[in-house]
Amino acid sequence: MIDVTAPMPGKIIAVKVAPGDHVAEDQEMLVFEAMKMEMPIAAPAAGTVRSIACAAGDAVQGGDVLAVLE
Amino acid sequence: MSSETTHASALERLRGLKERAERGGGSAAVEKRRKSGRLTARERLHRLFDADTFVELNQLAESQAVAFGMQEKKVPGDGVVVGYGAIDGRLTFAYAQDATVLGGSVGTIHGRKICRIMDEALKVKAPIVGLFDSGGGRIHEGFFASKGVAGMFYRNTAASGVIPQISAMMGPCAGVSVYSPALTDFILMVEGTSQMVITGPGVIQSVTGEDVTLEELGGARVHSEITGQAHLVAEDEATCLNTIRTLLAYLPANCEQRPPSLAPDDDPMRVDAELEKIVPHDFRKAYDMHAVIQRVVDDGVFFELLPKYARNIITGFARLDGRTIGIVANQPNVLAGCLDVNSADKAARFIRFCDAFNIPLINFVDVPGYFPGVKQEHSGIIRHGAKMLYAYAEATVPKITLALRKEYGGAVMAMCCVGMGVDLMLAWPIAKLVVLDTATAVNLIFRKKMQQVQDPQAFRDEMIAEYDHKYSNPFHAASNMLVDAVIEPARTRPELIKALRMLGNKQTKAPFRRHGNIPM
Repeated sequence: MIDVTAPMPGKIIAVKVAPGDHVAEDQEMLVFEAMKMEMPIAAPAAGTVRSIACAAGDAVQGGDVLAVLE
Repeated sequence: MSSETTHASALERLRGLKERAERGGGSAAVEKRRKSGRLTARERLHRLFDADTFVELNQLAESQAVAFGMQEKKVPGDGVVVGYGAIDGRLTFAYAQDATVLGGSVGTIHGRKICRIMDEALKVKAPIVGLFDSGGGRIHEGFFASKGVAGMFYRNTAASGVIPQISAMMGPCAGVSVYSPALTDFILMVEGTSQMVITGPGVIQSVTGEDVTLEELGGARVHSEITGQAHLVAEDEATCLNTIRTLLAYLPANCEQRPPSLAPDDDPMRVDAELEKIVPHDFRKAYDMHAVIQRVVDDGVFFELLPKYARNIITGFARLDGRTIGIVANQPNVLAGCLDVNSADKAARFIRFCDAFNIPLINFVDVPGYFPGVKQEHSGIIRHGAKMLYAYAEATVPKITLALRKEYGGAVMAMCCVGMGVDLMLAWPIAKLVVLDTATAVNLIFRKKMQQVQDPQAFRDEMIAEYDHKYSNPFHAASNMLVDAVIEPARTRPELIKALRMLGNKQTKAPFRRHGNIPM
């Protein structure tokens, strides 16, 4: 199981996947805002989304688990 | 049997010895490794070199040690195959450790053979490739083996910046067998079958109590993503060896030569309207800088190094107008493209490699600054960031910087701006070159005024628009020669190529010094 984490403090703009979805490595899973920019958070490896731990609008800290892949 | 040596009898003896040497640790050992996808030392060398060009040296050298029954255990060749051959027709030296012979351990003769082939490579100034597959120093030979090992490190250092040195980890390697690669220019690893550690899991367990496998400690993923010590990872051995060939094709044979040139079949004056669409004018929107690079370079081919380490900066080789270039580029969709400890480290070493080997540097800039935080500060962003400044300032190869969007603050120097010895500073029309981003600057400069006006928000918006119109745009920077030319995004490729052609014969003379003192 792989934790998909926030790279730094910021805000979740959009969640692009749902539990059960298959994702490829580097596929965009979330849109994240920090340092005045919107950036994609990509899947670190191919897998299935086990759970999503955030929602659009959430403020997050660096290292917070946003989703879990298996 | 006659006691007289004839041609025939001597040849017969030679054949026997060669056959023994080529058997290495024996067919059973070889078979076992084949099952896990591992080739023999000679097979690796034959794949690395052009067909029928590999010449082996010192095949019959054997261990001279007598302690611990070494004279019964010894095998001709002493666990390493050394020699030279052609790679794409170009002379290259190589050595491959044979893990079937005493674990590929480095004994005195083994070390001497490697030192000898390194001396040869330095003598004729040609690249050298090390294929490592060794557990480290040979305990049975005790301290005497250290001379060979130290000799390797000494020569890696003597050769550094003189001839390209490439290492491939092709098995579990530890201790001395990883320090030599660490001194070379590039390290490749093979997925799953190679590891690099200084101290193995067993010792770690007994000293710190940590329970970890060799793969978790020092496998390909660890070194390509966490430590940044593996520049490239190959899925299997054949791909690894092929990648070494591809890498060498970008490089000159030594520091006195220019990199090889290919006849370009990609139009040097190719204009590309897509670039404006890939890079959003809205600075809040990220994009993938790889997409820009691929559209600009010859045939869209980019040989990236350390693709998964410090992903906020991109380093790698490509060709423009058929000539090798080194690219350093910010990656806006990772950490907003900010510089940090790891990216400064990654970039600085790459810049210095390019400078050592006459490879022009092209910098694609979209950087908002350094990544803030206690972690960065306490990890030494000051001295690590300074490495990048040093590397660019020191470099005397042609340096061309293109500001695509953000050129903010101190990061501007770290990405080689005017004053850092850049040869040509270019900018796209949408670029912003400022000390502080506009909104922050306005908030600071007009802090008191904003407390006095009726509608601070409207005043602020007005000041931001005015600031951008007057000061942050590249035309303003160009008016004071801090930008040499503002270019149309679509014309990026031809403009870079024209600049490279103009700088082709650049020569600068540095004043004498023994060497500088780069922040480490």
